[in-house]
Amino acid sequence: MNDNRVLTRRGARELSEQEVNAVQGAFQRHTLTPCFIDKKQQLLNGDQTIGECGP
Amino acid sequence: MKFIVLAPEDDNHTAPIKWAMEKAGQKVVCWAGLSWTDEGQSSLLIKDDDTMILGGHSVDPGDVIWVRRPEQPVPNPKVSEADKKFAGLEYRCFYNSIAYFLDTLPVWCINSYSAARVIIQKAVQIQLARKCGLKTPATLMSNHPATVREFFARKDARTICKGFTPHVWQKEGQMSVAITETFELTSGQLPSDEVLTYAPAIYQDRVPKEYDTRMVLMGNQIYSYALKNKKQALDWRQDAGLGHVTAELVPTPPDVEKGVLEFARRSGVCFGSLDFGVDAQGQWWFLEINEQGQFLWIDQFNRDARLLEKFCAFVTAPQGSTLPLEARQDLFPSLAEYEELLKHEQVPPVGKPRQEDPFLSMEA
Repeated sequence: MNDNRVLTRRGARELSEQEVNAVQGAFQRHTLTPCFIDKKQQLLNGDQTIGECGP
Repeated sequence: MKFIVLAPEDDNHTAPIKWAMEKAGQKVVCWAGLSWTDEGQSSLLIKDDDTMILGGHSVDPGDVIWVRRPEQPVPNPKVSEADKKFAGLEYRCFYNSIAYFLDTLPVWCINSYSAARVIIQKAVQIQLARKCGLKTPATLMSNHPATVREFFARKDARTICKGFTPHVWQKEGQMSVAITETFELTSGQLPSDEVLTYAPAIYQDRVPKEYDTRMVLMGNQIYSYALKNKKQALDWRQDAGLGHVTAELVPTPPDVEKGVLEFARRSGVCFGSLDFGVDAQGQWWFLEINEQGQFLWIDQFNRDARLLEKFCAFVTAPQGSTLPLEARQDLFPSLAEYEELLKHEQVPPVGKPRQEDPFLSMEA
């Protein structure tokens, strides 16, 4: 990984294409979870929102 | 009374709740947020009788406003390039006036916008939780390398790192992604000082948790669910998506309940999703609150939770009612019924975001 990436990116959980598909498949059952991959919602379906002035 | 939802109609929580409320005979209107389109236009008339119109709907005394997830203001794209920046700022300022002004009207806001804007700040919520008697892990928020290293140098401490916001990085031209997640870090794993200044982060004592708890606050009612993760992962969210997590109703310890209700009173929020870590001694550690966090997924994991019905009972409760929500939850249909209709395409599907996703980046 490049030396100029943020620390949080370094600790991020990597999901392979196969895992992404598995999560998306699971979302056909669990479409409302506070996770971040949701095919129906085109990725984000998280707990936090960006408000007018920031999250 | 009508129920006004500040969110697109096809938001994944708005859609089933609107359906359930209407099935029970309640009047529900949605306003996706301020925009130049007919349905996004708004007016605020301030005189003897203040008047607010949101997309053609008047806000009337006694209305209940659920500030769920309004979209960012959208100026008219046809405005001159020379005026775009100004128009954008004007739209933002007007939206803020609307949202904060709601707090001054004789309506019930879930949540008060001014209270929500303060309490979503993680530093504020951790400090308030501590003041209300809840256990909180020692926390450092910093982009100052020396202070970060000092925090990690504490004897016998195990430390985790997490971001202020969630984020997804998607590889260009690929489906693989990286998702922000809480992770443990040792002093020896800390990167260079330069890297610590690239983005501030939250560093926190690792809670020696046995399991997580998701709590849903609705007024003076609290519902807690133990989230048992077969993988014992530090962060349960992605495993929940894979169905590796169970959600079991658990009693809230009296001291925690007292602390949470005090937290709600002092912060001014009446609704929210709270996360706790529970250690081997049964102590509950406050981790965070998302005042408009997702909660209907618990109904999918635990059909007895009936949070959709409870939420509908909560927002339609007569003023001053002290009845438990369970007493009125049968007035509303369940999420399972909605999902059945969804499966047979008898209700509209949830929608795709219409705006650029603020939590997604592409990377090489």
